[in-house]
Amino acid sequence: MPRFRARTIAATLGVAAALVLTLRGQAPDARPFLQIADIGLPAVEEGGAVWNESHVPWTSQARAGRAAGVELVRAGVSGRSYATGKVIVRFRDEVAAEERRSIVRQASSTGEIATRRPYADFDIVRINPGEDAEAVAAGLNLRPQVLYAQAAYRVHATFVPNDPQYADLQWNLRLVNMEKAWDIQPQAGSSITVAVIDTGVAYRNATFSVNLRSFTHAGIRYPALGVQTIPYAAAPQLVGGSGSGRVVAPYDVISSGGNSPFDFDGHGTHVSGTIGQLTNDGIAVAGIAFNVKLMPVKVLGSFWDVIFGTAPSDGGSDDDVATGIRYAADNGAKIINMSLGSTGPPDCATNSNKFGCSPVVESAMKYAVGKGAFIVVAGGNEFEDNDPQFGANPTSVLAEIASRINGAVSVAAVDPSKNRAYYSSTGKYIEIAAPGGTSRGFGRNGFVFQQTFDFNFTDTFDPTVVPPSQYRAPRFDLLGTIGVTGTSMAAPHVAGIAAMLMQQGITDPAAIEEALEKSAVPLSLTGGDSCPPGTSAVAPRTCSFGFGLVDARNALRGLGLAR
Amino acid sequence: MLLVGLALAAPAAAQDAPALSIRPFVLGAGQSFAAVDTFDAVFGRSYDVFLGGGVQVVVQDCFYFEGTASRFTQKGQRAFRSGGQNFRLGIPLTATIIPFEVTAGYRFHLSPRLRPYIAAGVGTYGYKETSEFSDPAENVDVRHVGFVANGGAEFRLHRWLGLSADVQYTHVPGILGVSGVSQQAGENDLGGVAARLKLIVGR
Repeated sequence: MPRFRARTIAATLGVAAALVLTLRGQAPDARPFLQIADIGLPAVEEGGAVWNESHVPWTSQARAGRAAGVELVRAGVSGRSYATGKVIVRFRDEVAAEERRSIVRQASSTGEIATRRPYADFDIVRINPGEDAEAVAAGLNLRPQVLYAQAAYRVHATFVPNDPQYADLQWNLRLVNMEKAWDIQPQAGSSITVAVIDTGVAYRNATFSVNLRSFTHAGIRYPALGVQTIPYAAAPQLVGGSGSGRVVAPYDVISSGGNSPFDFDGHGTHVSGTIGQLTNDGIAVAGIAFNVKLMPVKVLGSFWDVIFGTAPSDGGSDDDVATGIRYAADNGAKIINMSLGSTGPPDCATNSNKFGCSPVVESAMKYAVGKGAFIVVAGGNEFEDNDPQFGANPTSVLAEIASRINGAVSVAAVDPSKNRAYYSSTGKYIEIAAPGGTSRGFGRNGFVFQQTFDFNFTDTFDPTVVPPSQYRAPRFDLLGTIGVTGTSMAAPHVAGIAAMLMQQGITDPAAIEEALEKSAVPLSLTGGDSCPPGTSAVAPRTCSFGFGLVDARNALRGLGLAR
Repeated sequence: MLLVGLALAAPAAAQDAPALSIRPFVLGAGQSFAAVDTFDAVFGRSYDVFLGGGVQVVVQDCFYFEGTASRFTQKGQRAFRSGGQNFRLGIPLTATIIPFEVTAGYRFHLSPRLRPYIAAGVGTYGYKETSEFSDPAENVDVRHVGFVANGGAEFRLHRWLGLSADVQYTHVPGILGVSGVSQQAGENDLGGVAARLKLIVGR
């Protein structure tokens, strides 16, 4: 039974350029935090794990055949694909063997009846693989001695991951047509690197020695715990087996590379799971592009980062974000996911140097796109907010920047009913929508589940999680399938699909954006579009959903000449 | 002058051409499609071969009616077009065009062996498109009327055998341009210009 947190967390972390969050009573030690890297026990995965032999939609023979140019499968005029080199025929029982051979030879000069297989009441007629099996079958069907003849049409199960919690929990992946997308591309992004610009990722084991001094949080005084040994584990569903090489070029921007980008929050790890959690391995849940390489780029600090002294504040600032984007682009990331943001003025498009705008991030995003990286930005969770300076439903600055760059997209969130999530910001800068989940009306089934830290053991500072009387040192070695909501969860859906699309053959970021938007499914607007006052979106876009719900299958399938 | 006269002189057989002649033929055509970007995106080129045949009915050795059937089929990949770039997605696609054309024309008497001609008419053009990973409703099987005009010359190899070469223009609206790559490319004509060779049996 998976655990999940019913609390709604602000999945997009506030980024204030000039705001530094301080904790009253904290007296930072010169060296409160000692990291002993690569020494740590593996994670404890809650919920159990069952390892199964995975089934693969494409057999190794088919892959090898395609690589060698041998056509093993052909699309027939019927529209169905069939295996070449054979036709299935059922003769009437009274037809003698010699007559059958004669009939076959008349239909195909290369036709030979193969030895009948056990339990079959039909014959396989071997023909030259270059022959049109449907045409041969049509010829045989004209003979009165033949009950039926057909091409050997291919059948395969739509790829459904065997991850045990997939069917129960992952409405989000089915909403974006992932099963059919995996049929098209079972490699699931194996040659693409996705940068997760976030709070870090649980990507390696470690043990930390930390002097936990007293602090005040939410008006509560928490006592000093002294030197504590804090375990930290890599998320097994992200890093795979040891030496898998899945995680590449990890970088902590906050320390300019001095520290490793450990995630002490869980947000970045959860986001990474949607992008590329290991799939079809009989464990937990699935990820979208489950073979991509992941690049953790830490630009946001968390509460524990502040306590440990590994970040100056909870959150981050534009310079860290811009540096992280540039680092990702310079180190081979082809997809950059930014599940972060901040609110600001709505008119940065016309005056990017205005107070509250982020020209440093805009410049970095343009730089990254220029280097061939596609950027995905969360659309913002502030629809119900009333910012004292920027008003109701304030503009998400970084998402608005993305909307002006060909090769970057801003993502709104939908719930399981394909309605706009109640928190999802709206505006003409929203370009596409993806599942972000909701805590209203669906119970457990409204959340987006991936593997990350069990908050009961990490958020010991949060009185809503752990009573202050039970305050204890955190531990980062207990992971579970955790449900959260937010446009932070929506964005990595698009990032994962974009990674698969790039592997499929669309390598230009602007083309990826166009392909995703053109293949998106328009969504109905119950009660009308929720544009900010005085604004409207140009059809076919809407302020709530942009071009619509991202559809992985439509995007990967591309276009024919006429349809 | 003598040689020119001999070349232009009608062979004895031509001087007694029948009032009505039915002449079957086979043909091969190399066509350059009008939807250049569309075909280039999916197939990697915008020209290809049609093979077919038909029958010609010649009246008074001048006027003629011709019915032609041919077929083009080619395999390519589903694609996406953006900013003038083509991105092929590795998903197999098969396109088939089957025209049935009827034209009426006139054969000029330049010489008994060399007969230039012009013709125009209409055709019905069937287009089928199938792809892997497609639902049946996503495949295409349509037929639309188009227009055709051609002009060329027939060289008589023998009393009963002729070889003609011509250029044919076809215009086939209504199939491309509504969706797919053709819509992205802004191309809606399935026709094009073809260079044709016909081997004609008959007088």
